[in-house]
Amino acid sequence: MDPVGVGLRAVHYEDFLARKRDVGWLEVHSENYFGAGGYDLHVLHRLRADYPISVHGVGLALGSAAPEAGGHVARLKRLVEAIEPMLVSEHLCWGRGFGRHFNDLLPLPYTEEALALMSARVAQLQEALGRQVLVENVSSYLEYRASDIPEGEFIAELCRRSGCGVLLDVNNLYVNQLNNGSDALAAMSAIAPGSVAEIHLAGHLVAPHCVVDTHGDRVAEPVWALYRAALERFGTVPTLIEWDTDIPPLEVLLEEARRARERQAEACCV
Amino acid sequence: MSELAALQRDFGAAIASRDKAAEAAPIFRGPPEAALERLAVYRGNVVGACTKALAGAYPIVAKIVGESFFEGLAREYLRRFPSTSGDLNEFGAQLGQFVARFEHTRDLPYLPDVARMEWLAHRAYFARDAVAPDPVRLAAALERDDGALRLGLAPACALLASPWPLARIWQVHQDDYEGEFSVDLEAGPERILISRPRFRVLVGAISTGAYRFLERCGAGAPVAAALDAALVAEPEFDLGTALAAWIGAGVIIESGEGI
Repeated sequence: MDPVGVGLRAVHYEDFLARKRDVGWLEVHSENYFGAGGYDLHVLHRLRADYPISVHGVGLALGSAAPEAGGHVARLKRLVEAIEPMLVSEHLCWGRGFGRHFNDLLPLPYTEEALALMSARVAQLQEALGRQVLVENVSSYLEYRASDIPEGEFIAELCRRSGCGVLLDVNNLYVNQLNNGSDALAAMSAIAPGSVAEIHLAGHLVAPHCVVDTHGDRVAEPVWALYRAALERFGTVPTLIEWDTDIPPLEVLLEEARRARERQAEACCV
Repeated sequence: MSELAALQRDFGAAIASRDKAAEAAPIFRGPPEAALERLAVYRGNVVGACTKALAGAYPIVAKIVGESFFEGLAREYLRRFPSTSGDLNEFGAQLGQFVARFEHTRDLPYLPDVARMEWLAHRAYFARDAVAPDPVRLAAALERDDGALRLGLAPACALLASPWPLARIWQVHQDDYEGEFSVDLEAGPERILISRPRFRVLVGAISTGAYRFLERCGAGAPVAAALDAALVAEPEFDLGTALAAWIGAGVIIESGEGI
């Protein structure tokens, strides 16, 4: 399988339906396909015949202290059973509580309490879906004073306790390094090589007060350099080009996918 | 309350309201001014995502009030009716009810019903695909009906009655509409049917008889009883013609009992 995929977004449906494109696989946001029917689900059923699909959730907010809300996991399970994706992933974050959902990937404090909660929630999710789930490190604009476990160690321990895999977002590591002074390479070196099953690459925006993870631009050069380091440590794992705001023509995403493929070829032949 | 729950309570409160940000700032590393700026980034992201979702569900309301007004309206709506689902396609169900009481849209009395129509259309877009009954089998079933035959309304279908010309408002706001942009708000009360023949949601005005028939069928009444109700409302109502159109448009399905 070609290990480089792109995020499937509605503006590119027609491009993908018209002919087979030069990309190894597609990733969708699960919640966009939670309907019982309709066009999005129809397109996904069509495209799963031509491409392996990865189902990437943004709404479970697994690390929320509030008790789990019913329904979301059931709808994810229905989608996973219908699409039979090659990968299922969610985020290392919280986002729900006090009667509302923030619909954002809010960072967790890296504490034993958060680790225990995340491990239990990820294990429950894997149990409900009957398969392994990958958990993605998120971008963060703030660091809790309470955090006393380095991010990489937190992720490594989450894998050990729950049996989950890692979706390593290299751009998020870089954004956090700029925003919070964390060390992206140190985070990677804490994670066991065999546990990373997918890598995300995306663009970010350097704003006055912080670097914002917009997924709205090409992958930045320093992120490509970190990707190279990730490939050396974790091997050639499926890699996704993500683009969510100011989405350009599909050709631009395919160009970025080609660049990722070139990096993979370089890394494997060193 | 656990430490984790307390941190999330403070962080969440600072996202929900700028007034709570100063209380939350000390839970984060670095100078408080920096934390306030970063909290504002999160607040902006949350408002932005919800506004985008609301505009996606309510494109006509957004066009009627204009982009910048809609942003303000969305912000107020979010304060009153925050999102409660991890699926943003479920956000916005109460917008019709909200604009009915929103003082800044009082000069747009049709706006609440436009919003109600758009929410039904939004739900229709994601509804289960329907299988139309076979016309020959349906005709045979109607022929031998002893008063017990039932038909259902397809999951994507919905009905709405309004004093405003909703179907016309829908039509002139479609992206591919090329006719004259005019709506006669005095056109009188209207009953509309929202349907989704395949993947595109349609809105059309229907007669009082058609409305009563579909409403009764959707509520589980037998076809014969629904027809009686339709004929009371509209003596000229012709079920054969209506059914032929509805089967083609994916409006009517077999009930759980089959035909």
